[in-house]
Amino acid sequence: MPPPPRRGAGMSLATYLSRTRGNRETAERIGLQDVLAYGYLVLGVLVILVPVLWTLFSSIKSERAVDSFDTRVLPIAQVETMVDGRSKPVWSWTAEDGTQRLVTKAGPTRKITDVATLEAPDQVFQVPKEALAPHEELRIATENYLDPILKRNGQETFNFLTYLGNSVFVTVAATLITLLINAMAAFALSKYRFRGRLTFTLLIVATLLIPASIILVSLFFVVWSFGIFGSLWGVIIPAAATPTGVFLLRQYMLTIPDELLEAARMDAASEWRIFWRIIIPLSLPALSVLAILSVIWRWNDFLWPLIVLISDPGKHTLQLGLTQFAGEFNSDFHYILAMTVVTLIPITLVFVWLQRFITTGIATTGLK
Amino acid sequence: MTPAGILMTALGLLWGLGGTVWLLRHRSYTAAQVPRFLMDLLGFPVELAQSVFGRGGVPYALLLPNMLIFGLFTFAPMILNVYVSMTGGPSIALFDRPYVGWDKYAGLFDCENLLVPKTCSNAGYNFWTGMYNTLWFVAIQVPVMVGAALLTALVVNRNIRGRGFWRAMFFYPVMLSPVVIANIWNWVLHRKGALNAALGDTTEAMTALAGLAGFDIAATVILAVVLMVVTLRSLGPDAPPLAWSFVFAALLAALVTWANPLSLIGRDGSGWLGVGLGLLLLWIVAQGHAARPALYAAAAVSAILLLSIQFDAVFAFDRYRPVNWLVTPKTGWAFFWLVFVFCWSHMGFYMLILLAGLQAIPADLYEAAKMDATSPFRAFRRITLPLVMPTLTVVVVLSLIRSFQIFDEVYLLTGGGPGRETFMVVQNIYEVAFASDKPDYGQAAAGSILMAVVIAVFTFLQLWLTRRQSDL
Repeated sequence: MPPPPRRGAGMSLATYLSRTRGNRETAERIGLQDVLAYGYLVLGVLVILVPVLWTLFSSIKSERAVDSFDTRVLPIAQVETMVDGRSKPVWSWTAEDGTQRLVTKAGPTRKITDVATLEAPDQVFQVPKEALAPHEELRIATENYLDPILKRNGQETFNFLTYLGNSVFVTVAATLITLLINAMAAFALSKYRFRGRLTFTLLIVATLLIPASIILVSLFFVVWSFGIFGSLWGVIIPAAATPTGVFLLRQYMLTIPDELLEAARMDAASEWRIFWRIIIPLSLPALSVLAILSVIWRWNDFLWPLIVLISDPGKHTLQLGLTQFAGEFNSDFHYILAMTVVTLIPITLVFVWLQRFITTGIATTGLK
Repeated sequence: MTPAGILMTALGLLWGLGGTVWLLRHRSYTAAQVPRFLMDLLGFPVELAQSVFGRGGVPYALLLPNMLIFGLFTFAPMILNVYVSMTGGPSIALFDRPYVGWDKYAGLFDCENLLVPKTCSNAGYNFWTGMYNTLWFVAIQVPVMVGAALLTALVVNRNIRGRGFWRAMFFYPVMLSPVVIANIWNWVLHRKGALNAALGDTTEAMTALAGLAGFDIAATVILAVVLMVVTLRSLGPDAPPLAWSFVFAALLAALVTWANPLSLIGRDGSGWLGVGLGLLLLWIVAQGHAARPALYAAAAVSAILLLSIQFDAVFAFDRYRPVNWLVTPKTGWAFFWLVFVFCWSHMGFYMLILLAGLQAIPADLYEAAKMDATSPFRAFRRITLPLVMPTLTVVVVLSLIRSFQIFDEVYLLTGGGPGRETFMVVQNIYEVAFASDKPDYGQAAAGSILMAVVIAVFTFLQLWLTRRQSDL
């Protein structure tokens, strides 16, 4: 049974609320430095999150609200109704005696505007402009998302499922190839002594210092002569071997004891089976860091796919499709915003799910 | 089908069929061992190498696919670049290109004055405009981003609650693709977008607030009280605490900006004067010698400024006119937002690396410094900075190479505009080779090689300057 608290020895409320660590004897109060630190962090997170959240909230607003740059956070939309087969906004008209009625405009907006009630669209009468206010409701505009995805309302150009399929294919195939061949190279460099090991290591370091954008032009020639220009493989293969991946895996494999390999060799296992059965399972932590890095690189890749795949809309990745879409429909912000959100959701979910793993993994291993 | 394509297909067939035959002849598999068979087939070249050359052949077979890709898609293009840059014409068959010698380079250097792109030929104009813009961008963006990353890493490295959360939040934009980032910021920075709306509302609110009766008196009194408290705090019993001095310096800067003393002699720029004075004060306090007199002097100056402020003038704002951030030429806003968005989206990554470097510093060094009553600033300069220097060097080199290659963000946000204000060198290469009706691959390759030379010079200069601290 715990002893009853001694009177007078309790921490004062202010100390309790403002301590940063320690028990009541060693409690440290929040100093000005802490206030500044938290202030900086909160400000930084606001700068990072507000644009993203603003995009998210804007993407569920109706076309009319987006086009008029309504800066309210909630998706408030003006109610629309069908008059003579055309969709018209509904206004709430406050008569002089204070009664309110729903009307639609029957002509251009002037000081005295022609309106008609919803019940009797043919009976046009005149009211002053000031007596009209938009009749609004809270509505999530799902059509922003559904129109391009289901190809309704003339939105045939954004083949979301094709783009998604291409992006997923490129990301998955490239990541699997990268993992396999980088692990093989790392295995050779970490567990064998052979002539030329230093040369190979230095060659791989050298590729770390060759920026991708200065070999664009001649890489185009090489990829063309291999006949993979214009196909998804032209995006997957050239960047499949990554120096970062080789070094990350090599550092990790160096910590695997050689005795395990010797024991397997005693049992007459072939070198490939040793790699597959011992090295791969034991390097899983490093492999998963590389897998995450590779997924980020490939999912977000832009310039090289732009060069290789741009001429064939059926081969566009999600990033390219979104660029083309935003370029074509420069003014249809509500669709662009919705598709932007759709594009950022997969990577955000991966991040939320694996964030601790990603940040610690990259901080300890991933330099590039 | 190209010869290389036929070769690839043949290799694939040889691997699949030949491997199957070889494996089935050398080993026996039961029906349940199909996965094992597939695994062996995947590593067939390695198995073959082991059975032909013994164990000594295995590492070469293991390295083969990786080095093949590096060789074909990194080293070969590197060398091909030189060849392509000496050929002309639009042909994409490598050996069908006429040799033109150094013509393409001569085209780039065909200038009256290399420092003024306008005096160059057309190709030279585009290239050097891009190059100088890129150099400007790198010169501004790298220090800003590395500074912000270091500051953030230092703050996150403190003993704070929810460190994982803050770390993840700052890293989040790194995960977003350039297209998503560009769309988000285009939406925010639109002429009628959220930023302009927020700025307009703030201006209106401030004007309305300043219009209230007695506001100027109340504001003066509040400011005076705050200033007094902060002055007392920063002149604490022993050494002036740096955090309070920081707040004091910030207040001083704000005061100088508001009181606008330079307007007496008909000049602008009081804001810069204020920032300069604040930084000077901080520097003196951090040095520790003349901290007290400096603080007293600053307090006296503040008191005089405070009395001289005419609040009705200070809070008289014009009506806010929305700025077309990314489109209006000759304002520098497009360039500013480019730097900002680039830092926004990449800072988290470098922050993580710096954070790892900071956490590797042994804590007992700081304990010892605390015992000796070392000021936090001194501890930072004498312990943190030297020990984090190797990581910092890596970060600077990486971000230098990265921001030299900026393309995605510019292309999607501004397209190089307004005019050519944000036109970068990679965009020039891309447009010359891939986005024009008459692609000039030779010209683009020559540009790439010049760019590679510039990057190499900068990287080695940087590594040489910090050769003692680097661990690259």
